[in-house]
Amino acid sequence: MAKRLKDTAIRRDRQALLVAVTVVVQAVAAVFFVADALDDVADAGVTTHIAIEGLIAFALLAGVVLGALHMRVLLAEARRREQSLSIARGALGAHVAERFRDWGLTAAESDVALFALKGCDAAEIARLRGAAAGTVRAQLSQVYAKAGVTSQAALVSLFVDDLLDWPQNAGS
Amino acid sequence: MDTTPELTTPRRWDPIVKLTHWGVVAAVIGNAILTEEGSGWHIWLGYGLAALLALRLLWGLIGPAEARFSAFPPSPARAAAHIGEIGRGEVTQHRSHNPLGALMVYAIWATLLVVCGTGIAMSGPPPADPFAQRGEHAERTAATGAQVQEEREEDEAGEERESGEGEGEESELGEVHEIAVNLLYVLIALHLAGVIFETRRSGPQIVRSILPGG
Ligand code: HEM
Repeated sequence: MAKRLKDTAIRRDRQALLVAVTVVVQAVAAVFFVADALDDVADAGVTTHIAIEGLIAFALLAGVVLGALHMRVLLAEARRREQSLSIARGALGAHVAERFRDWGLTAAESDVALFALKGCDAAEIARLRGAAAGTVRAQLSQVYAKAGVTSQAALVSLFVDDLLDWPQNAGS
Repeated sequence: MDTTPELTTPRRWDPIVKLTHWGVVAAVIGNAILTEEGSGWHIWLGYGLAALLALRLLWGLIGPAEARFSAFPPSPARAAAHIGEIGRGEVTQHRSHNPLGALMVYAIWATLLVVCGTGIAMSGPPPADPFAQRGEHAERTAATGAQVQEEREEDEAGEERESGEGEGEESELGEVHEIAVNLLYVLIALHLAGVIFETRRSGPQIVRSILPGG
């Protein structure tokens, strides 16, 4: 899950970089073009050719400004997402800790429950904690009993149910 | 609450700041050691630099908060306070350039503007063919009116040096150009010294913040 979030962030960074490169190239092109058009005005005065060049110059410069504004929106969105995610993470952590306390889990049981929430099975938790699989299985059933559920999936869905507010509610 | 994420995520510059920074670095180095003074390529690189600088200045008005001028106002008072902090060994996090760095940034930008301005005033518009020599080009801009078109064609070989008229003004510009460039080199040396100093003081994050992917 963390990996997927990271991949998304990398993809967004690439997208922002692409827009930025375009804006930079456009800015350089615009400056060259405007300098050249000014030279033409100095040489030949205002002609239809110049009028068209002026139009193109305007379009290029407008493109630079709009590209820069678009870039800023992309950056602001990325930042907002990062922030709300990190706020949500902090909130989820606090909420989980509070529930564990309410259920009266011991320190060891809390650890095991946290691994269970992250999707580890008993064997993996045993390996991660350097404990016997039997011990972990016993602790897990203690956790389920205290939480009032009968499976790992049900334990996870307790928190999903607490925290998930589907946008369609907010939108109405 | 809303300040926590900013403090925990390491600060880094956005792609526009990064691209314009390294583009300017490339142009400065290119024009310092690769291109011949006053050559077509020199003028092209100069125009490119001017464009990057212009984009960065636009970004200072409409970019994200930390890239805006308002995030790093040129303030000698705050710079002095920052020196005091350095003396006391305190390290504060800055969202944008630190106050001393801000003064350096404005000094570099002002110098670059003078360099680009005098360069463009001397060279005129960028030559259509950067392989062309300076003599042809300077002459073209010194000449007036209808002459220009003819001369442009005649002087294709571009061997002739510029003629006497307008030279006084030109060499004055040239002098300002040269002085500004030398000042720029001094500022760059100070800039690099500042970056190295700050890296030792508060860690490599400052350099990472402007590197690609950092
Ligand atoms: C031609 C040489 C250079 C020039 C003219 C130059 C100029 C500048 C300017 C104008 C800024 C402000 C960036 C902005 O806000 O847009 C800046 C920032 C910076 N430069 Fe350079 N630079 C040069 C070379 C270098 C080199 C070789 C490094 C090597 C690491 C470097 C490291 C940095 C860093 C780390 C910052 C960000 C400082 C901060 O976060 O406050 N610069 N430079």
